Amino acid sequence: MSGSQRPVVALDRRQIFAMGGGGFTMEPGNPLLDDFVLSLADVGEPRILFLPTASGDTTSQINAFRARFGERACVPSHLSLFHLRDTTRPLREIVLEQDIVYVGGGSMRNLLALWRAHELDHLLVQAWQRGTVLAGLSAGAMCWFHAGVTRSSGPPEPIDGLALLPGSLTVHADGEPERLPVWLAAVRGGTLPGGWALDDGVGLLFRGERVERAVSSRPGAGAQRVDAIEGELMRKRLDVELLGDGPQAALGGFDEAVEELRRVNRMRRGGSIGR
Amino acid sequence: MPNAAPQIVALGGGGFSMERDSTLLDDYILSLLCSPRPRVCFLPTASGDADHYVVRFYRRFAPTCEASHVSLFRRDQGTGVEDDLASHLLAQDLIYVGGGNVLSMLGAWRAHGLDAILRRAWRRGIVLCGPSAGSLCWFDQALSAFHGAPRMVRGLGLLPYSNCVHYDAEPARRSEYHRFVADGLRAGYAAEDGVALHFRGTALARAVSSRPDGAAFLVEPCERSPAGVSERRLHVEFLGAAGARPATGARELAGDDPRERGDALAVVAA
Repeated sequence: MSGSQRPVVALDRRQIFAMGGGGFTMEPGNPLLDDFVLSLADVGEPRILFLPTASGDTTSQINAFRARFGERACVPSHLSLFHLRDTTRPLREIVLEQDIVYVGGGSMRNLLALWRAHELDHLLVQAWQRGTVLAGLSAGAMCWFHAGVTRSSGPPEPIDGLALLPGSLTVHADGEPERLPVWLAAVRGGTLPGGWALDDGVGLLFRGERVERAVSSRPGAGAQRVDAIEGELMRKRLDVELLGDGPQAALGGFDEAVEELRRVNRMRRGGSIGR
Repeated sequence: MPNAAPQIVALGGGGFSMERDSTLLDDYILSLLCSPRPRVCFLPTASGDADHYVVRFYRRFAPTCEASHVSLFRRDQGTGVEDDLASHLLAQDLIYVGGGNVLSMLGAWRAHGLDAILRRAWRRGIVLCGPSAGSLCWFDQALSAFHGAPRMVRGLGLLPYSNCVHYDAEPARRSEYHRFVADGLRAGYAAEDGVALHFRGTALARAVSSRPDGAAFLVEPCERSPAGVSERRLHVEFLGAAGARPATGARELAGDDPRERGDALAVVAA
């Protein structure tokens, strides 16, 4: 219904929340990032639409979304491009009435191809321009940038995104050690513009094209800004706010196996344990 | 592999995913392959690589074939085929495309270069087949009614016709196809559930069915007709023995498991 569509808003009122990993699909016991996503909407009970496109609309992602948001103060729904038979309303109506669109992880190549096939890419740009918060993790985070690094075809490789945000993004910087070096090499060599590398559990909040906050659901998870200047990489760590009531509260919902994995990965990369 | 004539078997609906009690259509497709243990690869793209669909494929084909599948959503996870897609697909005897959403499938295929690979496979004589979305995709133009109003979708264009599937499944399907052809959609073939159109090169060689009453039609623009379209019923051979119990219709497929019932419907919807 066109009557429920919002007007276009100024650039600094357009928000994108890009997570390197985390949220309900990766942190079933830790709601900090997802609660932060809900807090970004300017209404008490935001309409939040989940797009599981990048996973092939798996039932597991949809169930995890329902489990996380079903009992919270919001109106959750999901849109499956593989099961559109269940959807009677036009996609345009569904997308443009949302307060938040939350994009799941998976294959970024398939995500963009399917969005384009169904012309959802244009609708999401319009939603952003009208103040709908765009959020997502992994493929669902990189898709908003000029480019990212995907494993859609197996080995990590650069891939173009929708370019709502300048620069490039790489995700799972701690959780998937093979991805970061490919990104750094592409930035150094100039195939990708400079950008951000995010650990699992870290999200960047953009207002317009500017980073406003870097937040985390896990103590120790980091974010860095990387640029190439005359072939040399300039790396700068961002200050990351730990969400919740501090480290103790965050640890309460923290999966020890994930921390163990991250420690092993840091060791593999030659970093120090405990940093 | 010898350069056999290109072959496509386009199912209006049916095969292992839709006909629990009948193997007639899949048996017909397998009978076209020369190898005693043919290499058969399943592409479940149109279903979003749904696990239950992949499992049913292996259940049906693994006992008699070298069965494999390609998942375009799990290429990072080591399931399905890991190595070069082209070399794997071009080594097959049969490529079986599953049903689901044809628009999503074609988008994902193009993103991974599968459209070009499948065209090469066809030219080499690798048999291509599938129901529903797995039929529509081979044609130049397809009538898709997966979501909202029916629309024309451009397929891979191996067969220079239009195509309409599940022709008997919904009362409006026939009139919609007629309207599209009258309005400029190119002439083409409509097939009911349980009917397979077998093309050699780009010519229709046979129409066969798992049901005694399965029908297929050639629909062409016709200026002399008031509706602007003519429809001719094709000769369809019933694959079952005379007097045999007819196969269960796809729409009647309903297991105890509601999820499986939902799957069957999802596959029906192209």
